[in-house]
Amino acid sequence: MRPTFLAIGLMLPLLAACGGENTRMVTNDEYGDYRGSVPRQRPLGATGSGIVLFGVDKDREAREAAAIGGTGLGVNAYLWRATLDTLSFMPLASADPFGGTIITDWYSPPGTQGERFRAQAYVMGRQLRSDGIRVQIFRQTLENGQWVDSPISAATNSEMEDKVLARARELRSQSASR
Amino acid sequence: MRKILLGTTAVVGAALLAPTMAAAQQAPTVRIGGFFRAYYGNTVQSGNSSIGQLQNTIGAGDPSAAAQSTAGLNTASNGNEFQRQSARLGHNDFSTDAEVHVFVNGKAANGLTYGAVVEINFNQGEGAVRDARRAVQPKTSAGIDEMYAFVAHPTLGQIRFGDEDGPMGGLMNSGFVTNFGTGGIYGDWESFAVRPNRTMTTPGGLGDNTKIIYLSPQFFGFDFGASWAFNEGDGEDTGCLNSFASVNCDRVYAVTNNQSFGRSHQLPGRINELQAMLRWRGNIAGVGISASVGTMQSGVIRSADPLTGAITKNLRSPQVYQAGLQATAYGFTVGGAYMWGNTSFFYIPTARGDRDMEQFFVGGSYTFGPISVGANGFWGHYGNTGAAPTRSQRRWGYGIGATYRLAPGMDLVAEYVRHEVKQPGNANIHGLVNYLGTDRMRTQVFLTGVRVAF
Repeated sequence: MRPTFLAIGLMLPLLAACGGENTRMVTNDEYGDYRGSVPRQRPLGATGSGIVLFGVDKDREAREAAAIGGTGLGVNAYLWRATLDTLSFMPLASADPFGGTIITDWYSPPGTQGERFRAQAYVMGRQLRSDGIRVQIFRQTLENGQWVDSPISAATNSEMEDKVLARARELRSQSASR
Repeated sequence: MRKILLGTTAVVGAALLAPTMAAAQQAPTVRIGGFFRAYYGNTVQSGNSSIGQLQNTIGAGDPSAAAQSTAGLNTASNGNEFQRQSARLGHNDFSTDAEVHVFVNGKAANGLTYGAVVEINFNQGEGAVRDARRAVQPKTSAGIDEMYAFVAHPTLGQIRFGDEDGPMGGLMNSGFVTNFGTGGIYGDWESFAVRPNRTMTTPGGLGDNTKIIYLSPQFFGFDFGASWAFNEGDGEDTGCLNSFASVNCDRVYAVTNNQSFGRSHQLPGRINELQAMLRWRGNIAGVGISASVGTMQSGVIRSADPLTGAITKNLRSPQVYQAGLQATAYGFTVGGAYMWGNTSFFYIPTARGDRDMEQFFVGGSYTFGPISVGANGFWGHYGNTGAAPTRSQRRWGYGIGATYRLAPGMDLVAEYVRHEVKQPGNANIHGLVNYLGTDRMRTQVFLTGVRVAF
């Protein structure tokens, strides 16, 4: 009896390899899981989510990219989109989705014609992290018909970064609930 | 010219092979996962009281020879009452449990995925001794459930090597519908029931002894698996309790009194275990179908003469077969499985002349939104596990349960389970004094609580 099983066992892998287009890899979550005699609820860590201790979570990056439309960006899609949304009230001068830079043109808020602002934002890396965005605001004021550089308040840059991060979190929670 | 032709052929060949080889390499990730659960349970079962039993009271000294003699009377005058005691159990209890799993996953440049799984559980001591923790392990001591490495190729399949369920022992079964509550009759009610009326014959009961497993890719809806294990041992080291060949050793294939030892849950019985399972999954008119057939074929531990060491075979080599079918549509899942073979319950080897095992399982569940409800049950008859062939045992049970998914990974569960063992005409079922005078045992458990997977 057993030699028959062994012969079949050796033959079937070869057959499976010849399946061509009708062959697909069976993923680990397609197998049952028992703990002794009791069927086990599959831990989230076994199915690609869970907590990553070491290494880069490629599955999560792929999921997040797919959730936001699979844009093939060089940087984190949520941060990129959130930065564009946050700075959209200013005219855009240039945007490089691969390098992760967004530079706006000068913009004067209505009612304050004597000053203008410009922003540069850098999205750094593929991960959605609080230090993954850097925003730099430049300010000029009109003095004697000339635009001259003036300082901005110390908190402005970090406030803009906070707004971008809040928007990114919003986008991520929207895509996760889909 | 010839060189150019050869070179061109090689390039074309490489290009043909490329699609499977061009996968980007990924450094291994280490993930952590697992679960925690806490239940309230109300248990009503036969054997909730015992009278004049020899107690396993670790810390109270070994039972004296006089007390171990069943002829010894339980009287206050002869001292046996210190080992022979009576006890009664209440109905209510809480039960907690957790596991922590470590998952290592990587991908090589040639498309191979590889990794390892190590599952740590915290339930190594079933019995508890509150006042003797310096001498014995607590109920919640840590141990390893499953641990294995795997290498998977997109078109050639996967190999797992280590302590893991086999293809028929849990990986590729169909028809066992357990996706509600804690699993219904196959669920966590065991945590509240006192042995022996709780041992079921489930796919996972075959155990995660160390084995090498091949799992094929799916082709035309079919996939199959096969596994090989030398014995029922797992983990490292020999398993021997002595510095000589003895019954606990992993590699033991013959032992004195194997009629008892070879058929205990805790001691080895099967050797050279082969499992094979064929599964088909597909979609017929919008109904998802999964069907499996498989077998477990193994050798059995033999009898060794206590004085001469002469070896004879007196137990049957376990051969078990299983077929299962389940269908899923519109949130409903229904399934059934049939298992038969020459073992007793829990795949225990039987003696020549014993009745073969036959077991049916049916189950159904319905999932709507965050709620899953379902019921399942089994019934079967099994050979007796006594030394001599006697009447067969009947076992049956059912479970009704529900799950409410409070949040991703967090479930509230409630379940009712009833399980019975009957051995008609045997008034001393399972050979235990506290079951004397009855030929059946009953257990009913209602449990409810919370379970978190992470």
